[in-house]
Amino acid sequence: MTTGGCGAPVGGAKVRKDGGREAVVQGRVTSGGAAVPSGYARLLNDGGEFVAEVPLGEDGGFRFFAAPGTWKLRVLAPGGIRAERTVSAATGEVTELEVAV
Amino acid sequence: MSRSDVLVDAEWLEAHRGDPGVVIVEVDEDTSAYDKGHIRGAVKIDWKADLQDPVRRDFVDKAGFEALLSARGIGNDDTVVLYGGNNNWFAAYAYWYFRLYGHQNVKLLDGGRKKWELDSRELVTEVPKRAATSYQAKDQDTAIRAFRDEVVAAIGQQNLVDVRSPDEFAGRLLAPAHLPQEQAQRGGHIPTAKNVPWSKAAEEDGTFKSDDALRALYGDEAGVDFGKDTIAYCRIGERSAHTWFVLHELLGQANVKNYDGSWTEYGSLVGVPIEVGDGQ
Repeated sequence: MTTGGCGAPVGGAKVRKDGGREAVVQGRVTSGGAAVPSGYARLLNDGGEFVAEVPLGEDGGFRFFAAPGTWKLRVLAPGGIRAERTVSAATGEVTELEVAV
Repeated sequence: MSRSDVLVDAEWLEAHRGDPGVVIVEVDEDTSAYDKGHIRGAVKIDWKADLQDPVRRDFVDKAGFEALLSARGIGNDDTVVLYGGNNNWFAAYAYWYFRLYGHQNVKLLDGGRKKWELDSRELVTEVPKRAATSYQAKDQDTAIRAFRDEVVAAIGQQNLVDVRSPDEFAGRLLAPAHLPQEQAQRGGHIPTAKNVPWSKAAEEDGTFKSDDALRALYGDEAGVDFGKDTIAYCRIGERSAHTWFVLHELLGQANVKNYDGSWTEYGSLVGVPIEVGDGQ
């Protein structure tokens, strides 16, 4: 699925239903019910430090493989759009969230 | 070397992108990003398919680099402006690569693709046609590339800067949090390494912080001794190319190397020392 090495999934993240051995945080960004296809999702740790960032998929989707714990998800999109949510991740689980901006 | 020699902003790029001798190149982590839309006139380099040897774990050799740049229509005297996604990770990696093979006039677009997109600037799908050139590369400049034995020898002697996230540094994760944790090697970091995540060098829009802020980050906060030589590493060498760019190109530190083998090599070596935990 990946391009190998550090390559990101081609075409953005694909939704999966189980977390395997990982603590998955995934979801999508919407505006007025429609996907926001251009923008970025940033994962910050509990102290607000940057951990990772992905471009939103065409369906507004994002996905992170986090460690168990509490995280902040920050969305940046054209037009000065910003949003932030707090999310918990657990090993073997997929935490889903929809971020309406 | 100063900031204006190695960084351009969007206004500069929009004013100069049609100039003869200016070539814009997109290099992305997600190699399909270019196909969805790119800066008008930009050509694409695929960091893996174009820049990596398909069999051995190494870069394309000098002849391969010459063939790549010739096919992209890049000449030895051209000004190459690189940009890409994920805060210019892979553009910085390509920048280091151009320097490694001796290209003189190469710059990064500050903020990369992210700032360009967030500012709602134009992206097009039209692929430019550029006439092929006969590019002549130089031999690799190993003054900026570190190999494993010199990394082991540098423990406790030189600055080792681990630019991965704190969880990777401590050994709790083996890859960045947006990628599957698919690696099988040991977790942790090289003893005596300072953990300065690459992201601390960038603002939220992907632009680089000011020189003063960067000096404070590495020097005062992290304890990097600017009087010593430095080796930067991450997992596979692209995030540390971003930090190499900061230390060598923006701050003008003389002896800075990028260890492209990085943790995927070091963490798989037999018998080398490893530290786990958050460090000092």
